[in-house]
This record gives sequence, structure tokens and C-alpha cells, in this order.
Amino acid sequence: MPDTHTSSRFAMALANYFKKDWSGALLAVVILAVAIELVTDGKPFFHPSNLMTILNNSAALGVIAGGMTLVILTAGIDLSVGSVMGMTAALVGYVASYWGFPPLLAILFGLTLGLSIGLIHGTLVARFGMPAFIVTLAGLSIWRGTGHLTTGAQASPKLDGVFDYFGRYNPLTPLRNGYKEGTLPDFLMPLGEWVDANWIEYFRTFQMSLVIFLLFFVVLGLIVKHTKLGRYIYAIGSNEQGSRQAGIDVRRYKVLAYVICSMTAAFAALMFLGRAPYAKSDYGQMWELDAIAAVVIGGTSLFGGRGSILGTFLGVILLKLISNGLTLAQLNTFWQMVVLGMIILLAVGIDIVRQSATPRKIKQVLLAVAAASLLFASIHPVSQFVSAQISLFEHNSVSSLVSQGVNLAPTQAKRVLDPEAMVGVQSIVSATWMAGVSLLVMTIAGFAALARPGRQTSVAMMGVTVLAGVVLTLGGWPGVPVLALGAVALLGSLYTDTLFEQARQH
Amino acid sequence: MLKPLSKLIFAGALVAGVSLHASAITVGYITKSATNSGWIMINQGAADAAKEENAKLVTVGPAFQGDLASQLEVFENLAAQGVDAIGVAPVDSSGIAPAVQAAMEAGIAVVAIDTGVSGAEVTSFVATDNEAVAKIQGQEAAKLVADGDKIIYVTGNQAQSTGQERRDGFMAGFKAERPNSEILLVPTEWNSDQAQAGVEALLNNHSDVKMVVNAWDGGTMGAKAALENLGFGPGDVKLVGFDGAADAIVAMDEGWVQVDTAQMLYQMGYQGIKTAIRAAGNMTVEKRIDTGTFLVTPETSAEYKALIGM
Repeated sequence: MPDTHTSSRFAMALANYFKKDWSGALLAVVILAVAIELVTDGKPFFHPSNLMTILNNSAALGVIAGGMTLVILTAGIDLSVGSVMGMTAALVGYVASYWGFPPLLAILFGLTLGLSIGLIHGTLVARFGMPAFIVTLAGLSIWRGTGHLTTGAQASPKLDGVFDYFGRYNPLTPLRNGYKEGTLPDFLMPLGEWVDANWIEYFRTFQMSLVIFLLFFVVLGLIVKHTKLGRYIYAIGSNEQGSRQAGIDVRRYKVLAYVICSMTAAFAALMFLGRAPYAKSDYGQMWELDAIAAVVIGGTSLFGGRGSILGTFLGVILLKLISNGLTLAQLNTFWQMVVLGMIILLAVGIDIVRQSATPRKIKQVLLAVAAASLLFASIHPVSQFVSAQISLFEHNSVSSLVSQGVNLAPTQAKRVLDPEAMVGVQSIVSATWMAGVSLLVMTIAGFAALARPGRQTSVAMMGVTVLAGVVLTLGGWPGVPVLALGAVALLGSLYTDTLFEQARQH
Repeated sequence: MLKPLSKLIFAGALVAGVSLHASAITVGYITKSATNSGWIMINQGAADAAKEENAKLVTVGPAFQGDLASQLEVFENLAAQGVDAIGVAPVDSSGIAPAVQAAMEAGIAVVAIDTGVSGAEVTSFVATDNEAVAKIQGQEAAKLVADGDKIIYVTGNQAQSTGQERRDGFMAGFKAERPNSEILLVPTEWNSDQAQAGVEALLNNHSDVKMVVNAWDGGTMGAKAALENLGFGPGDVKLVGFDGAADAIVAMDEGWVQVDTAQMLYQMGYQGIKTAIRAAGNMTVEKRIDTGTFLVTPETSAEYKALIGM
């Protein structure tokens, strides 16, 4: 039957896709991007110039995460990258503006700094057998302190234009200027006109940051895949003892991994200076965590030997997509933190399920997606209802404290509502309590359903999703498109067994 | 605008007049940050005050900005060492309260600098009124745009009272004048690269934004970098700052920044430590000292620069 044939090929393709280390990250990127597209106004989220802005602002962190991937593949870790980046940025700016170093020399100085730090870390780890976690934790403190000490923690005033070539410089500028001044050769004129006409809309954000970022990952990917260095790093990470017996100079390649990692941090400092207002030693704080998160989200194992450069690329994109998208969506700061954590859990969750692929676990992940989409879709009415209800509780409780004569600080006494606010809160409660409570119950039911994945659960959840859609539509709240995402996940969970059966037969 | 300033000079004269007796007093000074450019100015004021009074100043800062645990630890250590007074810039108004109360009960004078303490008495509180200054910032910013224009506000850390008060004050001041303007928010934890990336994302997505207002001048510099990254020139999008930090004033001279509500940062540290020394010498001190504000515009920037010695 042709129908079965197509669906079994689909099953094969799906199974092949999930064999990749980076599949979880890619799926999370796509899900998140669609969700953000649905809730933002202004220019569409998928607009090229917005995507290029994301790439521009991912570039510095991305390059660091690339170097971090090599270290983690050897089963090591580098906690010092943020400090190395900050110190290099501060010192390069410092020698360029206060010691009169010509820009090229300042850049060389920065890269040499990265090289030396990498040699120190690598030697301590590989030759003296000190734990990488400890060595680089010490580095995190030492290099940050050194950066502050040498520059007095003051910003260096102005950066030479050469640094722009690592950051905000737009390679299309000469073309556009040439067109505007009429100095282009004739055959390039139409191209120049086209670029100029679409400048704000498309080409303005095509900058060196993203060009370098993409090139860097192509080169790093090729190195890891096609050179001895790449193969040995995987070998060392999966079995260090075995690699040594097979004749690999384990120490040398481990040192090399730390050197590359510190040098990427130094290079990232140059890229960051190309976009930043000034050079300062407090740049890059907590970047080590972001870089490690990107690597792990990308499917690389913290125990070494398994992972990919493409995965790290997607991990970086996912992290920056979240902060860009949540800003565009104008979500409350504290919600941003919560959503960020949940999306990271989702990406890594997909990865874990992928590795121990059983139909049950896959169904659980799909149910979790459905439950999460219920939660996001009902955020509006539920949060209105819950926060109004909480204000009422606070008012009652604080008023009774006041009547007991407890002395309260002014910020705490703010929780007592004046009569006007009281009316407002009460009207919110009466307008949202039905929708709020029912959606809250549905969301809780959605997460409870994870305990018993199966056909009946999926069908029941489908009913709940439709019901939630009805409630939202009646109340005039946005969020129905997010529910559609959950519905797709539920449909997927109904066909999981069939797909597995077909994949097994082939 | 000059009124709070004259008050400040008056207060300064008062403080200077009674600075004769203090000697060999040890004051602990717990700062919020040693690397933030605004805090560097406050810390300088504190150091100068101690020098003038011949007092010993023990300066300690948290491991990173906003680290309450390490601040509590150094506070308790200082109290245990038997310092005569403590000047503290709390990273968390209520979090620091129990330690402050214990020190006060032990007879150590505690002066809160920049950020108040809620839930415990202090000897004195030396700061600008963040909310009032931010309200002025909002009113002045409103004059730069028409009603209905879209603007961006870069917030400080919304889990800290300073960040909340500046945001509330700005919103109150601005919305009263421009009720129909849409305000897009860029959340940060007082981190200039968050400001830069966020402003860049929003500006790119909303081409009709007319102004970027910032809760502190690190944000102003991040926003300026974002404008440069997108190819804007000085004045294309209006910039409004808060703090009166030196680099923002330079940017104002270049035409990037239109208004900056300056806190008298140096004065805050200077008066805070002076007050602590006086209290340690059993002199009476004011419970609340407002260190004032200065509205910096291209017209007044020369006067401001002379005032802070730029």
C-alpha cells in the first residue's frame, strides 16, 4: 500500500533525525521560534534582519561555546572563559588607548594572552593531573581579579575603528557608499541600488559579527570532523586509558584543547569590543555558565566523547533566541527567568529521551509539550486571576496584622489596598475566576497526565486542549495558536507506537 | 533644580564645621560594587571623607554585585571586630535588616548609603530619593517626544528596591505627561551588555521608536552602542540617562544623550561616611540626608562638570 510506504519512510526519517546529537536542540529552537512568532507584534520574528540581530549578539558567546565544546569533549571543563574574555577585553582596550599600542599589536597581545592562559590551564590539568574543575575555577577568580587590578576596573574611553571589523562593521557598506557617491563600476550599480533601497529593511544588520561567527563554526566543524585533532579529542573523551594505549599523546591533545578554548575566549573579547561601548574588566560575567549550557543543550555529554559542533551552534542560538524573543514579546522579567529554565529543561529532556528511546518516554515528552503549551496559553487569564486573588489575601492578612498593632515597613504596608484599588481587584476576580480556575485545573491535569502515558490519556488531553481553546476564545484572550502546538504534540503521541513499529520493521 | 543643591551645600557646610574632634575612629564601609563606574565615585567620596577626618576606613565589597550572603558575612565580621560605625549600601533592603538591628543594639552607629534598610532602625540614611529623581527624569524625558511616540525603557534589577523605585518614578513622571505613548521594556540586572542586546533587538523590530530611557548610565552606554551598531547617528533616537556618570556626560557632549538626571554620587559617599564618623563621636546627626540631584542637559553640562571636577 503506498500509504504505509510513505508513512514508514517518514518513520525512518524521524528515527534517523533523532539519532543526531543535535536533534533536541533543533526541535526546541523550532518550537520556541514558532511560539515567539505567534505572540509578538511589530516586525515578524522570522524577519531576516531580526534573525541577523540574534546572530550578531550570539557571536561572541558562540565562539566561546565552540572552544568549550572541545574541552568538554575531552571530558574536561573550563570555568574561566568569562573571566578570560573580560580580562582580555579590558587589557586590549587598555593598551590600545593608554599605552598607544597600534590596533594590530593590541589584537596580537590579546590573542597571546589567551594562548598563555590556555597553556597554563592545560599544563596544570594534563601534566600535573589537577582536576579541570578546580584549575579553571581558580582561573575564574585569578583572571577576573587581574583584569580589575591592571585596569583599576575603569572603562577605557575609546576604541579604534579597527575593532569594528570584528563586530559592527557591515561588509556591504563600501557597495552602498559607492552607489550613493556614484563611484561604483557600471555593472555593480543595479546591485548597489538594490542594497541601498533595502538597507534598513534587510541589510543594515548584516555585520561582521555574524559573518565571523558562521565562518568560525564551519571551520571548527571541519577541524573536528576531518583532522587528527578532532578524532583524538573524541577518543580521549570516551576512553582516556585506551587512547593512551593506542599511542595517542593524550597530554598534548588535552593541553591543545584548553589552549584553543582560552584563545576562543580571547578572540570573543575582540568580537565583543567590536559591538560594545567601551572596554571594561567586568565584561563576560557568568558567560562560563551560558557557554556550558549551550554546549550541553546542543547534546554534548558532560562526561566527554559524545557531541557535535553543530549542536553547540544550535544551543547558542536557542539561548539567545530565548532572550531576544522574550524581550520582543515584552514578557515580565521574572517570567523570563522561569521560561528560560523550562526551555532548557525541555531541550535537555528531549535529548535524554532520545538516547533511551522507548515509546513510553517519547509519549511523555509529547505530553509534556502539550501541558506546557496549556500553561503558556492560559498565562493571561490565570495570572490575572491569581495575582488579583493574592492581592485580596495580602490585603486581608496585612490589615489584620495592622489591627493587631504590628509595626510594618512602608513597602510592606503597601499591600493594603485603598477602596478604589479594592473595587478594581474584585472586578478582576469576578471576571476571571471561572476561566482562571478551570484553566489552572486543566494545566495541572496536563502535567499529571505525564504519569500515565497512553492512548486514552492522549485522547483525554486532546479534549482538554479543545476545551481550553473554547474558554480562551470565549474570554477573548490570546493563546489559541499556542494550544495548536500542544494539539500537534498530542497527535504525535497517538502515532508514536505505530511509528516505532514501522521503524523496527525496516 | 538648584534648591536641593543649595540644601546640599548647606548640609556640607554643617558637616564640615563640626569636623574638628574626631580622631582614630574606625569606620567600616560596605560598598555594593568596586567596579561599577557610579560606585567608584561613591567610594571615592567615602575615602576622601575618612581622610579629612583622620578616621580609619575599612572598605569591603561583595564578591559580585547583588550578593547578599557575602554582604551579611562582612557586616557581621566588621561588627565583631568592634568598629565604631558602619556605613553600608545594602544590596537588599530587608535582607540586611537583622544584622543592622544587632549592630545598633550593640551600640554601633549604622548609616545606610544609597539604599535604605526596611525593617530596622538606622542612625541615618544618606541617599537621593530614587523615586523622586526618576520622576523628574520621566517629566524631562516626556518633553523630548510627542504624545503617542513609542519609547524604550531599560530597567535596572527589578528584584532590588533601587531598580523598582527608579522604574516606578519614571513611569509616574512620564505617563502623566504622555499617557498615549507605548513603553517597551528591556529588563536587565544592571548589566550593560543586556541593555545593548535588548535595545538592539527592540529597535530593529520597531523602527518607530523615538527615545531610549535608562535606569542607570551603564544602560545608557549600552543603548548608545546599540544605536551605533544599527548605524544611527547622535540624536536620531533620543537618549536619557540616570546617574550623571562621566562617560554619559562625554556622550552628551557628542550629542548622543539629551538629558541625564545626576545623583550627587560623590556627595553620597562623602556625606555618608562623614555622618558615620560624627555619629560614632556621639554627635547628633539627621535621620535622613538627601544628597540632592542635578539635571544635566547640554546647557547645564559645563556647570555639572565643574561641580564634580570633570
